Amino acid sequence: MNRRKFLGFFGSAVALSALPVNLSADDYRKLKPKVWEAKTVDDAIKSLYGTTEMIEKGVKLKLPKVASSGGAVPVKFGTKIPAKTVALFQDSNPESAVMVYTVGKYDLTQYFVKIKMGKSGTITVVVEGLDGKLYVAKQSLEVAAGGCEG
Amino acid sequence: MKLKAKLKNGVVKVKMMAKHDMVTYNQAKKKTGNRDDANFITHITGTVNDKVVIDISTSQFLSKNPIFKFQFKGDEFKSGDKLSVTWIDKKGKTETKKAKIK
Repeated sequence: MNRRKFLGFFGSAVALSALPVNLSADDYRKLKPKVWEAKTVDDAIKSLYGTTEMIEKGVKLKLPKVASSGGAVPVKFGTKIPAKTVALFQDSNPESAVMVYTVGKYDLTQYFVKIKMGKSGTITVVVEGLDGKLYVAKQSLEVAAGGCEG
Repeated sequence: MKLKAKLKNGVVKVKMMAKHDMVTYNQAKKKTGNRDDANFITHITGTVNDKVVIDISTSQFLSKNPIFKFQFKGDEFKSGDKLSVTWIDKKGKTETKKAKIK
């Protein structure tokens, strides 16, 4: 990846070998900082996409019904809808945004991660389609032992 | 960082585990009394032959030593090509790991 652009965010003056210009990596931490401060799922979605109008179809989301540890909840999610970004949110932690995938031409949009959930709640996955629409799936789960929240 | 990539039927499947404490703001506050001691991975990028195959902006809410699985189209790549994954955290530290696609 373009390490010069990467480190350039942090004002690094280190000269690195030039890399091809066709690299692109979108850092949504920098592009949309307010998303990561939003407390509710709706606020985070609004902050990221400008709207909370979503279609409930086309997004796969698989979670355990009960997670024994809130520190590492396994979440499997994905879509076949041609997408620009895929974002994961939850309502169990102080802020709601967990991660945003920027979908490049090679990415097959099938993901698995383990996340922290401070307590029982709902996980929301939003897919930003190339068609300009938002697609969503939500699922609730119980967290047996109070997890390591934010 | 642990990184494994396998090409099968035109798809490269990747499993990675980053080594990072992923300390949240609340955890930092409890531990040192200072929220700013929080530190967690904020961005992860993976490339093969300088082409971006994964790009994730992340938060404090990923598990400690976070695991990620993802897949990308393998038609333009072959076994032996190197997948290079880099993460950067809130404090600006980066780590890169390379693995050959099997």
